[in-house]
Amino acid sequence: MERHLILEDGTVFSGQGFGAPATTFGEIIFDTATSGYQETITNPIYDGQMIVFAMPVVGADGIHAEAYESIQPKIRGMIVHDLAEVSTNRQRRMNLDRFLRQHNVPGLYQVDTRKLIRHLRETGSQKATIVDVVDDHARDQLQATVLTNKQVQNTATNKAYANPGRGFHIVVIDFGLKNGILRVLGDYDANVTVLPYTTSVDEVLTLDPDGVIFSTGPGNPEDLPESVLTLIRVLQSKVPLLGIGLGHELFALANNSALAVLPAEYHGMNHPIQEIISQEILYARQGRGYVVDPEQLDTKKLFVTHRDLVDQSIQGLRHRDYPAFSVQFFPDGAPGPLEAKRVFADFFETVIDYVQKNN
Amino acid sequence: MYKRTTDENLKRILFLGSGETDFGLQGENDAAVYQVLPILKAQGYALFLVDDNPYSLALESADAETIVATLTVQNIKAIIKEKQIDAVFPGFAGIRGIRLWQQIIAEWREEDGPRPVGLGMPDSTVSLLNNSAALFERLESAGLAMPKATIVRSQAEANELLRDLELPLLVRAHNPAQGTTRRIVRRLDDFESAVDEVLEQSLTKEAVISKAINGLKEVSLLVLRDAAGNTMQVGASEDMDPIGIHTADSLSVAPVLTISDQVLQEMRTQAFLVADILGIQGPVHVQLALNEKTNQLYIIKVSPYLDNLSNRMALLTGYPVMLVAAQLATGRLIQDVELPASYHEKTAMMEPVMDHIVVKLPVFSFGDLKAAGIEVKRQLNSIQKSVGSALGFGRTFIEAMEKAIRAAHFNNRSFSPKYMKHVTDDELIQQLIHPQDNRVLLLLEALRRGYEVDELAELTKIDEFYFYQLKHLLEIEGQITNGEPSQELLREAKSSGLSDGLLARFWESDFQAIRELAKQAGVIPTYKALEPSAGEFPENAHQFFATFEEENESVPVSNRSILVIGPGAFRMGDGSAAGYATSVVLSELRKLGYQTVIMNNNASDASLLPHLSDKQYLEPLEVSDVMAVVDQEKPEGIVVPGNRRKLIEALVALGQQVIVLPKEKHQPAGPEEGESEFALNLFYDGERAYPLVLTQHQAGEIRLIDQDVFDADLGSVKLPYSGVYQLIWRENRSDWAREVTLPDFAVDSWLRPMPYGQVAFLSKILQVSLIRLVVRSWKQGGLTNDDLEALVAHMPALKGSDFAMVSDRTDFDLHLRPASPIDSTRFEMGAKIVRLEGDDDGQG
Repeated sequence: MERHLILEDGTVFSGQGFGAPATTFGEIIFDTATSGYQETITNPIYDGQMIVFAMPVVGADGIHAEAYESIQPKIRGMIVHDLAEVSTNRQRRMNLDRFLRQHNVPGLYQVDTRKLIRHLRETGSQKATIVDVVDDHARDQLQATVLTNKQVQNTATNKAYANPGRGFHIVVIDFGLKNGILRVLGDYDANVTVLPYTTSVDEVLTLDPDGVIFSTGPGNPEDLPESVLTLIRVLQSKVPLLGIGLGHELFALANNSALAVLPAEYHGMNHPIQEIISQEILYARQGRGYVVDPEQLDTKKLFVTHRDLVDQSIQGLRHRDYPAFSVQFFPDGAPGPLEAKRVFADFFETVIDYVQKNN
Repeated sequence: MYKRTTDENLKRILFLGSGETDFGLQGENDAAVYQVLPILKAQGYALFLVDDNPYSLALESADAETIVATLTVQNIKAIIKEKQIDAVFPGFAGIRGIRLWQQIIAEWREEDGPRPVGLGMPDSTVSLLNNSAALFERLESAGLAMPKATIVRSQAEANELLRDLELPLLVRAHNPAQGTTRRIVRRLDDFESAVDEVLEQSLTKEAVISKAINGLKEVSLLVLRDAAGNTMQVGASEDMDPIGIHTADSLSVAPVLTISDQVLQEMRTQAFLVADILGIQGPVHVQLALNEKTNQLYIIKVSPYLDNLSNRMALLTGYPVMLVAAQLATGRLIQDVELPASYHEKTAMMEPVMDHIVVKLPVFSFGDLKAAGIEVKRQLNSIQKSVGSALGFGRTFIEAMEKAIRAAHFNNRSFSPKYMKHVTDDELIQQLIHPQDNRVLLLLEALRRGYEVDELAELTKIDEFYFYQLKHLLEIEGQITNGEPSQELLREAKSSGLSDGLLARFWESDFQAIRELAKQAGVIPTYKALEPSAGEFPENAHQFFATFEEENESVPVSNRSILVIGPGAFRMGDGSAAGYATSVVLSELRKLGYQTVIMNNNASDASLLPHLSDKQYLEPLEVSDVMAVVDQEKPEGIVVPGNRRKLIEALVALGQQVIVLPKEKHQPAGPEEGESEFALNLFYDGERAYPLVLTQHQAGEIRLIDQDVFDADLGSVKLPYSGVYQLIWRENRSDWAREVTLPDFAVDSWLRPMPYGQVAFLSKILQVSLIRLVVRSWKQGGLTNDDLEALVAHMPALKGSDFAMVSDRTDFDLHLRPASPIDSTRFEMGAKIVRLEGDDDGQG
């Protein structure tokens, strides 16, 4: 059935509906990666967003148990050019279409996605809605819609839970944690405790972690309570700390630095990122609407460790006094290049160092 | 424009040419050299190129000192000394270049002086690449998995192995004299002959025997690495056909569609590791096999040099692989690579991403051979049988596949419910298991006959995705055969890659009527730019392909452009000479101040290089594709190869200004054994004919005759198009003539366009580009006095000319198993220029 996408600037794109026949609202962004659609749509950082895929054929690899970044799609809409209906599920016929329908997410295919992406590149991320009929009502609804700024509350756990292992004890503060981070920690056999972001400093320290990770998450970090920044300020001075994605942005905010909003968000995995100390280039999955503003970086506290060589954005920070550092990109390789995983190796080196000094 | 940032001692670089074209060695290496010469020259290097390929475009480049010489150690060493070469670039000549460089290293003596450095890889890697056992060991010790392989030197040793290994086995030559030769042995009876055969093909008389991994999925990755160890992926392509069918004979798709990100990332990591282990500065093509049940990966081939994937990936992604590779080899780091201004300034460092689908379809010459009465084995296996390939660009798999089929065949036979009706069910099953060149049609027929997708996937080891796609195509076919032309149906059909001509056949109409209907219904192509950022950045793109969506990104280049129709895929008989001819036409038109537009679909020659024309359309070459581009660009004239008679007629009927580049419909047969074919070669400028030189052709070899023919009377020669032609006559003699008596041309000879291969050869020997003269005569309506004088001035170069063109290397028996001998003139794959030794005694 023909359905439509209306953008906040009034532009309309039409295509065929798939997934759920629902009408939804969200912020629309585009993604240029050519693999990893299932990981992307289930990544909690996309809570509340609609994603346009540059990859023209999506769904040809089915839906896999090992490709969930959370148990259900977080997006509000998926826009593709061509939809493949392939199931790789041994028990049920489960393809991308059915998966989205099951989780009440609408999709649109047979869309001129290249035109849409070129349009978004010029006009920036904006509100959008997927509807059956384009009329004044639909347009008014879109203009009147205020998108939530509670994405972290929507996706992050509100209960502590354990992901046991026999290695180092790593506390993960969850802002919308993706499974990839837990998977890599599992590779290190870490003994993981995942905590809500509302956890107090005392509670964390009582658990006596060997290291703390501030996870990825959706939305604007400035919408989160000040207590989160306090948590970082205290923990960074006591235990090894790694911030990823939203966690990186919070790490900068906690250290007297400020963020800038990107005119058009970048979601993809083809930008070179340089590790400044070694001059080495790596590639990693990125998904960002905010970056640390280099003009407002407190260089007395932090220094830049990684840069995106395409737009020069800050991709990594390290604290001058503490074993604390952060990366803007996603080093867990789910989806994305695996060379970025060396960030975890660096983190565990810091952890080992800390454990040896404090035993 | 471009700065040097690399080793200041490196000043004089010698490129090794790749030699004659052959199965799997088309024009890609030559095109790559041709492409990089200008940028390296601008960076201050003195460049030299040695090759013996008569069809080479690079040998006619003005940006290097070019040397025609046989590619031997002795010749190269002499050139190195004479030209004071500091560095040799072997990797742009592919595996042949690496082998030759290895020999040069081995045979370099102290008295030869300091040896030039090899660019692109350390010497240790050069020797590893020539010792596959050591290479395997090296990769295996780094934790990479490969199908276990053992080298044997005799039949007895091979039999020993049989005790440990189960069939099927893969048997191939170690250090083969030719490209890769592989045999899969399924039955014990075949083992001995297979081992015998490959021992014979091996330079070291060794065979490699390994477990066959047939049926696994095959993926090719192309990565680049710089001197500091920075590595990036250019792209990956999956074969629809499983391992067991040579990748060149497989239908390939990019980007990879049916493999999960996790597995793709593991492949990428392994390819990076390979590049690191080998210390490559430049491209590495890694072929992997994937067992989807276990996710086990095997590395099956490593090619750390330019090959056809490098050129193809450059065309598929819009990423300038060659320009980057050449600079990485000279020591530049990836972030310092300089590119022409038409690229986004960060293009070199960004991994290209595709927002379109490209299908590569192999082109076989079985039909042409059959028409000549030669039966060959059509069953596809691990030995390459295809002679070329065509690409289809689209936004869905079906669109890209249909366009690839049309590009490969100039028609669309796949889309006919009747085409495979005659195949019995038994034959169908047999061919599903042992596929032939028609397998897409066969798969469609199997679906039509009601086979289930999972059965077919099991039988063929082809991913279910492709069957669902083909089923969708069948649905469209059903709608078209049962329906009337409507806007909806036209849109559906055309966005599935079907042409007006094909729809006309279904609706018993003609192409012109369908074209009008589609125009009225607003079903007109939208051209999408092909660029490496998938829309993230504005790039000044020059490459476009048609699809049927909303936005058309192509803006006409000018109001006085020339559209050049390319020759499409390589076919036997053309060698790579057709690509050469097209490229020279483009180059000369530009010199004359025209804006040029090229349409083609072959990644293996230079014709689609971004710097040869103002715009490139990556499209099939049927009338409807051409007319759509004509509507878009409104060119002043259209250059069409003379063998495309139907296209020429259709374009003329539509009122287009057609310029014909003369070419025979089929490559003419060569002289028989014991026979000589003589040619008086002539230039016709549209007004009158000018005699050039005499040539004598015996089976497999052409020589010039040192005889003045300026006075030959050609007054009676009148031709419709300017071009290079031949007056031909035959005599029964097998000696090489020093002088011949010219016949009465009007009675005893016949006239034909000079085959492109000979045009390319003669242009090199005469040192005057005949095709450039043809193009100039189009503009001026004849040759100017200056051109004529230049032509005459070059003729004395002939005196004592001691070059011949020889075609004797192609191993037809290995690739095609023909039932009778193949005429190497008519079905030529490649040739080389040979300098004749000493004073010829007339016996050859």
